[in-house]
Amino acid sequence: MSFEQIVFYFFSAILLLSALAVITVRNPVHAALFLVLAFFTTAALWLLLEAEFLAITLVLVYVGAVMVLFLFVVMMLDINTSTLKERLGSYLPVGGLVAVLAIAVMAAAVGRDHFGLEQYAAPERLAADASNTRMIGEQLYTVYLYPFELAAVILLVAIIAAIALTLRTRPGSRYQNIDKQVKVKRDERLRVVKMDSEERK
Amino acid sequence: MFDSIQDISLYIVLAPLIGAIIAGLFGGQIGRVGAHTVAILGVAISFVLSALVFKWMVFDGMEPQNFSVYTWLVSEGIRFEIGFLIDELTAMMMVVVTFVSLMVHIYTVGYMSHDEENWPAGSKAGTNSYQRFFSYLSLFTFSMLMLVMANNFLQLFFGWEAVGLVSYLLIGFWSSRESAVFANMKAFLVNRVGDFGFLLGIAAVLMYFGTLDYASVFNAVEHHKDMTITIWPGSEWNIITVIGILLFIGAMGKSAQVPLHVWLPDSMEGPTPISALIHAATMVTAGIFMVARMSPVYELSEVALSFVLVIGAITALFMGLLGLVQHDIKRVVAYSTLSQLGYMTVALGVSAYAAGVFHLMTHAFFKALLFLAAGSVIIAMHHKQDMREMGGLRKYMPITWLTSLIGSLALIGAPGFSGFFSKDSIIEAVGHSTIPGAGFAYFAVLAGVFITALYSFRMYFLVFHGKERMDEHTRSHLHESPRVVTVPLILLAIPSVFIGWAYVGDMVFGDFFINAITVLPEHDVLSEVGFTSAFGMLLHGFVTAPFWLALAGVGVAYYLYMVRTDLPAKIVQLPVIKTLYAILQRNYGFDAFNNLVFGRGSRGLGTGLWKGGDTMLIDGLLVNGTARLVGWFSSVLRRVQSGYLYHYAFAMIIGLLVLFGLFVVA
Amino acid sequence: MNFEMPNFALAMPEMFVLGMACLILLVDLFLNERSRVVTYLLSQATLVGAFILTLSLYTPVRELTFSGTFVLDPMASVLKMAVYAVVFVMFLYTRSYLQARQMFTGEFYTLALFGVLGMMVMISAHSFLTLYLGLELLSLSMYAMVALQRDNRVASEAAMKYFLLGAMASAMLLYGMSMLYGVTGSLDLGEISRAIDEGEIERMLLVFGLVFMLVGVAFKLGAVPFHMWVPDVYHGAPTAVTQFISTAPKIAAFALLIRLLVDGLGGLQSEWHDILVLLAILSISVGNIIAIAQTNIKRMLAYSGIAHAGFLILGVLSGTAEGYAAGMFYVIVYAVMGLAGFGMVLLMSRAGFEADSLEDYKGLNQRNPWFALMVLFIMFSMAGVPPFIGFWAKLAVLQAVVASGLIWLAVLAVIFSVIGAFYYLRVIKLMYFDAPADEARIEPGRELAAVFSGNALVILAMGLFPGALMAICIQAFAL
Repeated sequence: MSFEQIVFYFFSAILLLSALAVITVRNPVHAALFLVLAFFTTAALWLLLEAEFLAITLVLVYVGAVMVLFLFVVMMLDINTSTLKERLGSYLPVGGLVAVLAIAVMAAAVGRDHFGLEQYAAPERLAADASNTRMIGEQLYTVYLYPFELAAVILLVAIIAAIALTLRTRPGSRYQNIDKQVKVKRDERLRVVKMDSEERK
Repeated sequence: MFDSIQDISLYIVLAPLIGAIIAGLFGGQIGRVGAHTVAILGVAISFVLSALVFKWMVFDGMEPQNFSVYTWLVSEGIRFEIGFLIDELTAMMMVVVTFVSLMVHIYTVGYMSHDEENWPAGSKAGTNSYQRFFSYLSLFTFSMLMLVMANNFLQLFFGWEAVGLVSYLLIGFWSSRESAVFANMKAFLVNRVGDFGFLLGIAAVLMYFGTLDYASVFNAVEHHKDMTITIWPGSEWNIITVIGILLFIGAMGKSAQVPLHVWLPDSMEGPTPISALIHAATMVTAGIFMVARMSPVYELSEVALSFVLVIGAITALFMGLLGLVQHDIKRVVAYSTLSQLGYMTVALGVSAYAAGVFHLMTHAFFKALLFLAAGSVIIAMHHKQDMREMGGLRKYMPITWLTSLIGSLALIGAPGFSGFFSKDSIIEAVGHSTIPGAGFAYFAVLAGVFITALYSFRMYFLVFHGKERMDEHTRSHLHESPRVVTVPLILLAIPSVFIGWAYVGDMVFGDFFINAITVLPEHDVLSEVGFTSAFGMLLHGFVTAPFWLALAGVGVAYYLYMVRTDLPAKIVQLPVIKTLYAILQRNYGFDAFNNLVFGRGSRGLGTGLWKGGDTMLIDGLLVNGTARLVGWFSSVLRRVQSGYLYHYAFAMIIGLLVLFGLFVVA
Repeated sequence: MNFEMPNFALAMPEMFVLGMACLILLVDLFLNERSRVVTYLLSQATLVGAFILTLSLYTPVRELTFSGTFVLDPMASVLKMAVYAVVFVMFLYTRSYLQARQMFTGEFYTLALFGVLGMMVMISAHSFLTLYLGLELLSLSMYAMVALQRDNRVASEAAMKYFLLGAMASAMLLYGMSMLYGVTGSLDLGEISRAIDEGEIERMLLVFGLVFMLVGVAFKLGAVPFHMWVPDVYHGAPTAVTQFISTAPKIAAFALLIRLLVDGLGGLQSEWHDILVLLAILSISVGNIIAIAQTNIKRMLAYSGIAHAGFLILGVLSGTAEGYAAGMFYVIVYAVMGLAGFGMVLLMSRAGFEADSLEDYKGLNQRNPWFALMVLFIMFSMAGVPPFIGFWAKLAVLQAVVASGLIWLAVLAVIFSVIGAFYYLRVIKLMYFDAPADEARIEPGRELAAVFSGNALVILAMGLFPGALMAICIQAFAL
């Protein structure tokens, strides 16, 4: 077993275990942290594939930004974990059986018999000075221009959707209107009332 | 725009349709004047263009035009199209239809001007009835044009049903009257019987010829003349005969031939302009037109021709007899229409299609005239129709009187009038025919001449001459009808006199219809008759039996209803005549028979099937049983839709696994 | 590297819609409640403009650009125009509904337009990548639209279900695509088709990917057993949104089916044929049977939609150009009928009252005979009664099925549509033979009444003259 293989299996094993942990641990904060671990190991696997740019982006974007946000949300929500797990027992036998079947079928399909090195030769190594970033950039802005732009539109829609669904002005809430406050005139604040004097009784 | 016959044909058809749509849908907005203006305008356009087409066709020698306008759909290689076939026959029909229709449109302005009086106060159906009437009239014109201009059976059937529908709507136009509703229902049901045969005929054409196009069918008819069909085991029928008879059953319904004639007298419940347009001049002649159009088919089957001949002869004679005993002025004209339709059918039966169609044309003019004149009388009499309360109207209504006289003379075939040329041609043709049944038919048409003259002049004398039998109130209000009524009468009187002179030579004995009508040499009775000019025929006319029979009829009528007015009542009391009279009064018992056998019988059958078949077997066992099963199944399956997200997701996974199991693993 | 400059002109409609959607997003910021109608008008103008552009780009040939990720062929042009037309009518229908429920906002229109863009991308896709991105763009817009009424618990629940199940379906689709990418080495539909035709790839792997992808597509079409979201979402979403998601996206889903199965995996026809037969039978039978048990008209229409999806699949599975044309005819007709079906619910609703119970249709004839007649047209058409257009759609599909030799399947489909006729006719029975439970006057706006009547009359008119649309559909697959 070469060194590369040892590294691969090491990270793969951690990836699978942490992914499993994400959906099994009781504490949501722990789950989120396991997800971070899964991303890290995935990044490591990409490095092995010489996809440095993707690996670093994954760490920066997902671990650095997305997961932090995730943790914030999870910490703010008070999720009662015990009720969630209550009915797991009754579904486990059927669910487990289905899961096992699905795994069996998929393993048979994507296993070594069909995707082994005999069928698909390993990709050639890149030259030492090959720039991963440059290659991706070139492809993105030429051949994949159209899908790339579409992905951008999807993000735009996601932003619109997020704002439309969360931004709300409550009908009863009070807030200052600075504009109005500054422009206010004397007459609007003060009313001089003239009235006849009344006699004391 | 006006240079191609294709475009013009479309305008001819669409102009009345557009008029009908505007008058019908926007009648409330555009008011009475607006409605009759658009309707009359539409029909007038149609008439002018039809006349133009007629001129091209007849005087400028244009070739017959056969073209399709729109392919509705194509199924299994059979094309369902809308298309027009314009030849001499079509051109003539177009002119007749649009001219009579135009006259009737104008006449209606006067006839229906007080229509609100015909409705109960506050009736919802009575609002805008005037506009609706014009809409129906124009719609009828459109349908009739579609019928005559069709170049395929589908469109023919469309027109056929559409005129039937409009006829139904118009007979029952005064829907607040029970008798009108009864009459239109009767017309519709009786026509259904005929249409069923017609539809079967078309189906047979489609089955054996594989096309609905006239031209293709006529071209192929030669190859099919010896094919047979087994209708029930052991009886082989020639398919041409079967098709001919089935199509003619349709014609019997529409053209009111015995025994499907029962609806026509009752249809007089409709307003008089309708009786003139639909139930005298145009729609009822659709059957005659159709058989003439199908002449290449009928020529190949002597059996079918014989069938047509005998039915026509029966209708001509026996329906005329009924005209003698009617008191309602419109009913007399109605029975005379039946009898004349019988003449036309007889002409078709002896292969004298040209004579039949010619009689169709002259009849359209003089019968429309008679109806409209009757309508004029009815207006003057404040919608009383009983002739026993009339008499002596000549003084009060000179124009109506004169035009009625012209119409009656044309109807009885007085030499020189249009009816003479057409009817005598038919009688002569029957006399020369050797087809089975021709002997009986010859007797029937000859006897018919006498009877026609008798009832026509009975009506004429009763209405216009003799004692004034109406009540004082009516008499004091008697006056000639307004201009919108009398002008159409005069315009219709002109062709009633002259059209025979002008066209008998070409149409009947010449080669006017050479492109449109096929006659085998061995059937060609008209060339055996062999007149060459209208004048020769006229001279000959004075020495033939029909002339003397007609004269005798008029004489008898004069004697009975002018000289010895007490005699008719006495004759009716004679023993044999009394029975006969009773039979005639009951219309030979057709109505009673139909009511008893078909009416009661089908109600009994319906009740039986409803109680036994439907309620018990189908509803109880099959429908409700199946429904209960499906309902049970449905309520079980519905539970799967639990609303839980993980159930849904689980179902998807199961679905995926099943697909794997079925398609990947296996 | 050699790179061919794309022919941007072919994607003019897409660019136009995108530009306009962004513009509307900006313009809407500066509008207040009263001038919001500008947003509406601009959205309608966008659709009209896109229609004109697409029409002017129509070519009878097949053109590829953007390095083979974009295709313009007659089918694409026709389907896109159908989408614009359907969404245009949907906007007409829903304006008053939205106004009455404080949903007449810029978001609704921009999201709908982005959804339209997603559909256009799917319709014109010639690569797994563009297919998937178009689908996601559409789906994302739809998820958001369902949830647009934030304070409506049912709608929020529906949106949640839709989103999660949709994500699952997308994942499966993506997994299937990655499988096929793995074995063929390309994302381009043409390349994949060529690789399959060479016959060196193991069938089992291809079918493995195919099954995953079909699950994703079946979900979008709402075919059984991937249909569970349909009734809940149709029911929960505001009726205006339901009208949107039940019509135009079906047209796009049809394009997805054709692009994937015919353009890409045409070589696997014998395999996907069997899967589609199964999906079609299940959809037609389950959809029609469960619809009978519904008391809510939106749920009933949802199940009816599932059954219609089955018919649509029937057209495609025959694997012939006639069959595809029949399927296309069916999907366009279904969109027109769906518009009318939910339009009927919109028409009967008023502020604070959703006419979504079957009870609400009782005695409609006495309350408003004209609308009752129009509803009758719609129900007859959906049930497949001649002369309405729904009849011709079913006939065309069944003809294609019979022509491919599957007479038993056609018979089965007819039996279940007869069963299905029950629940359509029940609506008619309620309208004409029952006494009204609600005497309130039906007072839809003039615009809504006119659109509804027009829609129903179009169903009749198309039924009387089905030739034109059929010719267009046949033309689209004549290549």
